[in-house]
Amino acid sequence: MHPVEVWLFRIVVLAFAAAFAAQIATRLRLFLRASNNLRVPDGESGVRLWRVVREVVFQSRTIAERPLVGLAHLGVFWGFCAFALFTGVEFLRGLGGPDLTRTEWFGTYALVLVPFAFAVLVGISGLIVRRVFVRPPALGDHLSKESVLIGFFILTLMVTFLLDFVLAEGTGARINWWVHALVILSFMAVIPGSKHFHLLVSPLTVYLRSSTLGTVPNLDFEREQVGLETLKDVERKQVLDAFTCVECGRCQDNCPAHATGKRLNPKTLILQNEDALLAGNLDVKLAEVFDASVLWQCTTCGACENQCPVGVEHLPLVVGARRGLVSNGDAPDALGAVYNHLERRGNIWGLGADLRQKFVQSAGLEIFDATRHQYLMWLGCAGAFEADFQKSLRSLFEILRSRGVTFGVLARERCTGDVAKRTGNEYQFQELARANIDDFKAAGVTRILTSCPHCLRTIGVDYKEFGYAVEIVHSSALVAAITRDVSVPVAGTVTFHDPCYLGRYSGITEEPRALLQRFGASVAEPVRHGANPFCCGAGGGLLFEEHEDGRRISQERLEQLLSTGATTIVTACPFCSIMLKGAQASANSTAEFVDLMTFVEGRLKTVS
Amino acid sequence: MILVIAEQQQGTLNRSSLETVAAAQQTGADVTVAVLGADVSMVTPALALAKVSEVIAVQAPALEAYTLDGFVAALVQVVQAEKPDHVFLPHTYQTRDFAPALAVALGMALVTDCVAARWQDGALVAVRPMFQGRLYADVAPTGAALVTFQIGAVRADSLVPGATPAPIRIATIAIDASAIRQQPEAPFREAKQAVDLTQAERIVSVGRGIKDQDKIELARQLASAMGAELGASRPICDAGWLPMDRQVGSSGQTVAPKLYLALGISGAIQHLVGMKGARTIVAINKDPEAPIFEVADYGIVGDLFEIVPALIKELQG
Repeated sequence: MHPVEVWLFRIVVLAFAAAFAAQIATRLRLFLRASNNLRVPDGESGVRLWRVVREVVFQSRTIAERPLVGLAHLGVFWGFCAFALFTGVEFLRGLGGPDLTRTEWFGTYALVLVPFAFAVLVGISGLIVRRVFVRPPALGDHLSKESVLIGFFILTLMVTFLLDFVLAEGTGARINWWVHALVILSFMAVIPGSKHFHLLVSPLTVYLRSSTLGTVPNLDFEREQVGLETLKDVERKQVLDAFTCVECGRCQDNCPAHATGKRLNPKTLILQNEDALLAGNLDVKLAEVFDASVLWQCTTCGACENQCPVGVEHLPLVVGARRGLVSNGDAPDALGAVYNHLERRGNIWGLGADLRQKFVQSAGLEIFDATRHQYLMWLGCAGAFEADFQKSLRSLFEILRSRGVTFGVLARERCTGDVAKRTGNEYQFQELARANIDDFKAAGVTRILTSCPHCLRTIGVDYKEFGYAVEIVHSSALVAAITRDVSVPVAGTVTFHDPCYLGRYSGITEEPRALLQRFGASVAEPVRHGANPFCCGAGGGLLFEEHEDGRRISQERLEQLLSTGATTIVTACPFCSIMLKGAQASANSTAEFVDLMTFVEGRLKTVS
Repeated sequence: MILVIAEQQQGTLNRSSLETVAAAQQTGADVTVAVLGADVSMVTPALALAKVSEVIAVQAPALEAYTLDGFVAALVQVVQAEKPDHVFLPHTYQTRDFAPALAVALGMALVTDCVAARWQDGALVAVRPMFQGRLYADVAPTGAALVTFQIGAVRADSLVPGATPAPIRIATIAIDASAIRQQPEAPFREAKQAVDLTQAERIVSVGRGIKDQDKIELARQLASAMGAELGASRPICDAGWLPMDRQVGSSGQTVAPKLYLALGISGAIQHLVGMKGARTIVAINKDPEAPIFEVADYGIVGDLFEIVPALIKELQG
């Protein structure tokens, strides 16, 4: 290279590096001033590194949700990695360093890169066609010019790379070299300010993502934490999340609120956070950054977070902002009543303990005694008061008794605090949790059985933060384990609605199906089942919602279930059951609802 | 003598004031009523109709709008001048605000949220619910006490009217306005529901059992024959068969009518929590296992399309 060319290149590189650094600095400052919530529990780093290998190197999440697009992206990503050294060597030469391009190994390396270049060309062309012509709704209404530009950058890089093989040395080759180099530099300069920042941040956000879906750490009242009120309170992981978001819209595609025409869009939430952070006024209230009413449309089903290929956690942001509202007395009226009920009577419906007592007596339940009972049977609010769910519990008790499993209940229970936790009434949640944990400890509880997926999650996962770990099992898992010897001939088709807190949160998807099949049902799967179900609309306190924008989530789900053609709908959560039954009238459906336990008991009777 | 502190706002008497006067009358003691404001001439005549010995209009410009300091200052003067045996108040939001401060200022006991009071062995016994209404406690204060009464606990129609209107005395008092620390703002008014089911005495409510939007008319006819409001469970309102403001339940209105007639309502818990306060619940449902029968006082297991027309005919005939 001519010395003038080298000097020119040095100046150009310096200018682009400065532009890059300035943008990084803004973001780094926002990151550093946010309070530090980055924590990796002891002994988890190995698991998380393995996750980075799976999800970043092999792009498992990117491919799982959208196989074709995911593979195209994988091609581009691996191409990038493969080209890193090539670019390094070329830049070294350009800056006047040692010229390694004449070495034998570099020649071989360049040849190896050719198939990668073609993979990238195919991948990026597909992605450009998709973005510009197919325009899936997940990518938003507006064509992102920046993404198209970057698409063409990548296209140009590959073309110039390949051209280099055919161009003879001379002015043409030099121009080709410069085009290649300038495109790389421009790309670098665009990265921090665009969604392509995920190139740098996503390995970090994937690593930092909590291993348990929907983890929203407890507030520390000693440190006067009250949740996210203003942008100042947004924590480090949420700052990274805002910058790592690739705007792919997988969260939007899976969000039940968005699917039913509500204004909540998990992707918008993350992008609004990013825009607001970059705008720089950190005193803005989050209720103004996000439309507050949108925050109350989230069912906390977790579909967004569970799909995100770059490790964004939406729930800490939603629940955090709800906490900020609740601590200022800005909870919706309907929740105010629920909080009163929880405070005065310890259950979500504000009913008297005598009603629970009536059920305990009529179901012939014993008070838990650690010396005689294998399990503490946790009833939960629905078990204590809701007639349909009580029916299913009676079935469960019959199954357990017939199999010799011993169990007892506490003399009194409080709500686990699920609704309080998900709606951001953290103080109430912690009070309920601590009181329940004291009761468990006093009664010498070591194993808990429950039929409510929300209680399962709250006691099993959220109570761990109080240093209380207990073995807790959902009825479907236990009953599946104790009825392995049964086999009932197939009689009829049912469809199964996976509760979010069972299928997605707790990963219990096999056991209910094993039970249904074992007890003679063929299962017709609805769209969205197993570990990625479509919510019933009750979670996150929305069971108590007064008015729902757009279509009802429960109705949408009921229609999905009915379109399987099955006339029997099996559920395994009291809240799903309330919501879906409630949707029956408008769907003009006469489908029969059966709780999983009632189904099993009914069929069990026919064989024994 | 029992001094009742009535409550008025912008010339309208709070209904619970009359309930408290009735509660005072039921003890058999002499009753005097005081009412506070800048000008209370709008409400004193109504109070004077009750069988009471005197109505005192406690007036001062500083009492125009409610403030805790203003009311406590005024009531301390009134109580010290009248020297009643006890002071009765309705358990309103306003009372809840100032009564503790007044009790401390006067050095009197405060017995809150009572449902009845009686004179027994020459002393007052106030009755208040405990343990969420499971038990009633008799509270006998040793000295003069402030006693507040739950709204609706004593019926206003049990008020004994006087043979002739009681004398009205205007007591103009001096209040140091500069000592009032609160600055009242314009009163907050909650948006009123288009349909207020909470005040209805009778409600006919429809649920999924009605099956068809056209059949709502049948329920409407029954409601009009009974002089009742029409309500519904959530699925009916969700389906748009009736407007949302007719919804009864945890996500709708919480009602406590004298009579609640549930047509084809299974009694999902969301609905039950909104109507379990009804005095008499009648349920008509095909399914004898329906949870609504758990709370119903009267239940008819049968087809509502047969029973409702028969009921309408009976009521109209």
